[in-house]
Amino acid sequence: MKRLLQLIMITVLVAACWPTQAQHQLGSSRISGDFGFNGMYYIPDSLIGADAVDSKVRANAFLNLLYSNGGFSAGMRYEFYQFPLIDFEKLNYKGQGIRYFFADYKNDFIQVTAGNFYEQFGNGLSLRAYEERQLGIDNSLLGARIKVTPYKGICLTGVWGVERLNFDSYVGRKDFVRGVDGDFNFGEIFPKITEKGFILHVGGSFVSKFDKADDDVYITVYPEPDVNTSAVIAKDKLPQNTPVWAARASFGYKGFRLDGEFAQKMQDPNVTNDFIYRKGNALFLSATYSMKGFGVAASFIRADNMDFRSQRMMKTNSLLFINNIPAINRQYSYQLLANYSYASQPNSQIGVQLQVNYQIPKKSKIGGKYGTDLTFNFSRFHNIDKVWTPEALAIGTMSGTDGYTSNFFKFGPDLLYQDIGFEVHRRLTKKWELTLAYNYITYNLELLKGHEGIMRGHLVAADVLWKVAPKHSLRLEAQHFYTKDDDGSSIFGLLEYSISPHWFFSVSDEWNYGNPDKAHKLHYYNIAAAYVWRTTRIALNFGKTKEGILCIGGVCRAVPASYGVGLSVTTSF
Amino acid sequence: MKKIMFIAAALLFSATLWAQEPMMEKNLAKLPAVTIQTLDGQAFNTQDIQNDGKPIIVSLWATWCRPCIAELMAIADEYEDWVEETGVKLYAVSIDDAKTSARVAPFVNGKGWEYTVLLDVNSDFKRAMNVNDVPFMCILNGNGEIVWEHTSYAPGSEEEVYEILKQLSKKQ
Repeated sequence: MKRLLQLIMITVLVAACWPTQAQHQLGSSRISGDFGFNGMYYIPDSLIGADAVDSKVRANAFLNLLYSNGGFSAGMRYEFYQFPLIDFEKLNYKGQGIRYFFADYKNDFIQVTAGNFYEQFGNGLSLRAYEERQLGIDNSLLGARIKVTPYKGICLTGVWGVERLNFDSYVGRKDFVRGVDGDFNFGEIFPKITEKGFILHVGGSFVSKFDKADDDVYITVYPEPDVNTSAVIAKDKLPQNTPVWAARASFGYKGFRLDGEFAQKMQDPNVTNDFIYRKGNALFLSATYSMKGFGVAASFIRADNMDFRSQRMMKTNSLLFINNIPAINRQYSYQLLANYSYASQPNSQIGVQLQVNYQIPKKSKIGGKYGTDLTFNFSRFHNIDKVWTPEALAIGTMSGTDGYTSNFFKFGPDLLYQDIGFEVHRRLTKKWELTLAYNYITYNLELLKGHEGIMRGHLVAADVLWKVAPKHSLRLEAQHFYTKDDDGSSIFGLLEYSISPHWFFSVSDEWNYGNPDKAHKLHYYNIAAAYVWRTTRIALNFGKTKEGILCIGGVCRAVPASYGVGLSVTTSF
Repeated sequence: MKKIMFIAAALLFSATLWAQEPMMEKNLAKLPAVTIQTLDGQAFNTQDIQNDGKPIIVSLWATWCRPCIAELMAIADEYEDWVEETGVKLYAVSIDDAKTSARVAPFVNGKGWEYTVLLDVNSDFKRAMNVNDVPFMCILNGNGEIVWEHTSYAPGSEEEVYEILKQLSKKQ
């Protein structure tokens, strides 16, 4: 393992130095990069739950460097998270060093990557190595990747690598991932298909993880109700290789488009599925139709026992995920909905999502001079239906058995999340723009957050933009979230003044006026200023953040309550 | 191991920085060559972002990014005039991933945008462009060289884009 890493490192080095010799002929060598710093000075505030932290000043920082010359590129990222923001401390994303470096060569026929890389097969049901910096997710693989394009429209990919685990050392790791993928776009292979207006695209992948089984696993069994005793799954009974295969297809004609992918996972007893031996599977379907001024998108997802990670004992957050089961619900950026955002449940979810966009035409009687955009959204997710197997019933636990059987298209007994939403956007005049939104949200606190009960709430939001002068604008955001459950109702207001293209100033306050606990009817205020010059942004803020969750792309992490002064700088060059 | 890492990094740094010196002044950067997708799933090399010697706008956006949409909507109101005056072409590269990428086409049609929309589902183009956050916009001159880059959006900043486009089309 160690030797292999050194080899990769040397390859990267040699490759990085070689083109500098050749640059005079090629003349296209280029260095670019980006830098980010996110720091905060924490002030303890026991009322909101912001505990005193051992280091009051904390920061996340990184620097990306990228060198490219023709078909060759090499890059690295240095990260300094030695005293990270408390959210990242809680994720254990703590340390410093270079955990991302690569060399890559590409021409029309082949692409070879050594070092760290990100990759996705199909919709990601079998493999998705990706990065979401704000969530502290970096599932890059360290190893090698080859992509071959033997014929236009055909792409074959092979990967081998060890998945990144925060700042932990790769040395001594006993797990790795390998996979192949074939992608065939018949529209490019047979241009006649495209000429006639059709899209036909198929693909398949096979991904396998190896995780050495060194230790027995202890489980709890219930020989009689109310009696429990421990049992062992011997290490030689734990599969060391777990494959996942997936097949996908897309079909389109004019405005219609159908996409689907099905994946199956072989035996993978692990801590997230209670060590069951049942095979997992996932189905993702999407149908869309659109024409000028009108679009409709419907999708379906079902995931059953599809938590697929590099190590069977890992259950923390999003660490060591090999695949990604997408949460297909619509993402909102409304502050008061942030706490009730749906997170994908790879082991048990079945759900639908429907979105309709319509633009009442410009210059029409109802649409007004600039047109009016209407958006309707519906989504609903349940857990899957589960019936314990006789074997599992006999020992009183699913662990160590096949666990359960499940009726494929039956929605399970528990509603996880539902959203019914409506949004209108209209530019009233050259100077005024208005967005109005309403959402009714149902959110299963017990299964998604570990609290008790179901939260039902109504959100009403308005967003008004006033272009005061050519480069000056004022934006007002007002939101009211009404609920009798959980933390109760809240109201939120934000005023943002911007002087384009450089300056942004904002003040906001969130008031949890309906909190059932009187002492917690609190204000969470924030003042912020930002300066942007080209690709550089410097932002300063002061205020309180409510404890909650932050979700990006259906993946969420907990955000602890905090109070203090923050500074953020990002730039690219 | 750590030492090797460090030496490797140091060498990579110095090698690349040394290589940079004589090059930066002479020529402006062009777009990196990254394979992304068209809306109908065809492979698309970002070096094929072209417009017959006329200026180009490249915007990185996502369906879940409100300022991105605000920016593209503001430009959409002016776009017809801009095209007529400067011949500009706007490429809107969506960084939506598998979760939302299927909704990009209906979204764009629903808004009635006239842009050329591309999909960067694995964020390969975003990384190659060193983009931290969206919205990110750059303008290319007739030779495909990046003459202006900007991150974030404030209402009214499309005026600056328009000014640059007018200058570029005058130079031709």
